[in-house]
Amino acid sequence: MMKAVVALMKKDLKLLFKDKMAVFFTFIFPLLFAFFFGSIFSSSGGSQGLKIAVSDRDQTEKSQAFIGQLKEASEFRVTETDEANAKKLVRTGKQVAFIILPEGFGENYGGIFSGQPPEILVGIDPARKAEAGYLEGSLMKLGIKRFELAFSDANEMIKQLDFSIEDIQQSDDMPAEWKSLLGDYLPKFKELTELEIAKQPEGSDSSGLSFGSDGDNPMMPLKITKEEITVQKTGPRNSFSITIPQGVIWAIMGCVIGFAISLVREKTLGTLDRLAIAPISRTQILAGKALGCFAAQAMVVTLLFTIAYFMLGVRFDLIKLVLAVLAAGICFVGFMMFFASITKTEQSVAGMTNAFLIIMGMIGGAMIPLFAMPGWMQSISHISPVKWAILAFEGAIWRDFTYIEMMTPLTILTAIGVVTFFIGTRMLKLKQS
Amino acid sequence: MIEVRGISKRYGNLQAVDNLSITIEKGHIFGLLGPNGAGKSTTISMMCGLINPDQGQVLLNGNAPGIKETKHKIGLIPQSIALYEELTALDNLSFFADLYNLPASQKAERMEWSLAFVGLQDRAKDAVQDFSGGMKRRLNLAASLLHDPEFIFMDEPTAGVDPQSRNKLFESVFELKALGKTIIYTTHYMEEAEKLCDRVGVVDKGQLLALGTVDELIEQYGGESRVHIKSEQGEESFMTANPVNDLMTRLKGLTTVENLSLQRPNLETVFLNLTGKQLRD
Repeated sequence: MMKAVVALMKKDLKLLFKDKMAVFFTFIFPLLFAFFFGSIFSSSGGSQGLKIAVSDRDQTEKSQAFIGQLKEASEFRVTETDEANAKKLVRTGKQVAFIILPEGFGENYGGIFSGQPPEILVGIDPARKAEAGYLEGSLMKLGIKRFELAFSDANEMIKQLDFSIEDIQQSDDMPAEWKSLLGDYLPKFKELTELEIAKQPEGSDSSGLSFGSDGDNPMMPLKITKEEITVQKTGPRNSFSITIPQGVIWAIMGCVIGFAISLVREKTLGTLDRLAIAPISRTQILAGKALGCFAAQAMVVTLLFTIAYFMLGVRFDLIKLVLAVLAAGICFVGFMMFFASITKTEQSVAGMTNAFLIIMGMIGGAMIPLFAMPGWMQSISHISPVKWAILAFEGAIWRDFTYIEMMTPLTILTAIGVVTFFIGTRMLKLKQS
Repeated sequence: MIEVRGISKRYGNLQAVDNLSITIEKGHIFGLLGPNGAGKSTTISMMCGLINPDQGQVLLNGNAPGIKETKHKIGLIPQSIALYEELTALDNLSFFADLYNLPASQKAERMEWSLAFVGLQDRAKDAVQDFSGGMKRRLNLAASLLHDPEFIFMDEPTAGVDPQSRNKLFESVFELKALGKTIIYTTHYMEEAEKLCDRVGVVDKGQLLALGTVDELIEQYGGESRVHIKSEQGEESFMTANPVNDLMTRLKGLTTVENLSLQRPNLETVFLNLTGKQLRD
């Protein structure tokens, strides 16, 4: 009994390897897919900074210092230019945003206790919400540095206090209570600062003034003590850990399409009649087809994961991976049988299988990784067997699924496979008889 | 022996085969003659167990065709080229031999015999897709003979075949008969039926219209012969049931005969007389 089934499997694999296009789409294309997108994702992994154009209307020492901070910040890649060109660069999409430092920026940047906060003008496409949020956060971070600078350097502090005392005295719109309070407080604070400077040894730096304490500056917004902790990384080891399961899905889909076509072709050629006339049961014929499809899937998956392991640094739990391969194999063999049973010609089975699997692949994460999909699409992806297959592979590669967690995708895949296989074989037998 | 007892098959509104009964003796070549769509392929499919009849019964040596023991005795040459064209002739034969679970020694021997039988031993390692239409037909036959079947069903085996391959195929049919095989041969070519078959069943619209040897059918349903004479007295044509006697009588009064032809009835006229239409309509 097994001899006939194995003969059928061997014949189908021979036919598969004789078809250069089928070999390309089953073995080569998935590898190229995984390698190509894996390389793209890995090369774009490190942040290269937001591209911004900066124009300085103020042209003061403070404004130039701020631009210097922008240039040094890893969050940005700065192009300093005139205002018109800065706007043009953003309009034409060459830069993400422009920043203009208006007149008075430097004066307000220095004022801590009085005056207005330093204003900057930012221009960004409203559609780029993510970049806008990132830009705002990064600029605020730099803004905080002016407080740090003022409070950490005593001489700078004296300058700030002199400037503020004079500004308050000349101010007409400040409420009297505030004017009185600050007029009384700031001169005393200046005296205290000068006293602390006097205590410093001759020639020492005025930064990091201790104000009588044991080295900590009470005026600093926060004292941060850093401790280096190596965080255990969860998630994919590299981008290939994501693209290899996607490539495997494309390979499996290639097998399904190829074998569904070959089964329909047996009908149209008349070879199915030859098989039916032979002393083997219809169940054996279909089992031979299923085994051929499964063997082809197993071969291509083994090839891809071997390359992934030795050449692309992808690591996996072998037992969980084998379970995933088995469940995905059962599922897609079932689909192969189902599609072959409901179609009559090679063209119709190719069209229908392609359309179905590509849609399932799109919503199931074979193109865009599942974790990168918006929430609503992740919900829709539940209906796709591709999603569960990818989840099973990822569970064995980088999601660190326990065996209990693996059960969900494995059970769903197996159940889909059994149901579609049963329906497919029943329909094929009915049609034949 | 093959016994077909009142088999019928309906597809929707089409009565493909209607209460057809035949008995075929061992070692005979039996022809099913009829136009396209007459029900020949459906009949042959039921006879070899590919499809089940709605009514009636088929027995091959007293057994149903679908059982495993009987399947070993059946060889089917389908109407289409039922081969894997990407594979070589040897690969095809090896695969079909494996389906019959032939032991390794017997398998090699039978493959060699089959290829030699159809004259393709020199092309054994070539892909079928590189074969001519006639060669494919011959390999189609070889693939059905690997397991040395007793009953050989040939469904229009000469469709699309060149004259040379057709003659080779005819020789093969006679050789198989000489080996004691029982052959069921469907065709819509009356020349093939006349040349090959011991007995012929004429079918149309799923019904068996007549059954017998070629001579019996012609005698029974062929009608009269047509005689045409051109002499010094002019041209004359007439129909006669006894052409030899009638011709002798007419020729007695003539001194010069320029042209004389005698057209005897054949299976074409049998079919015409039975159905009122040409065999290839």
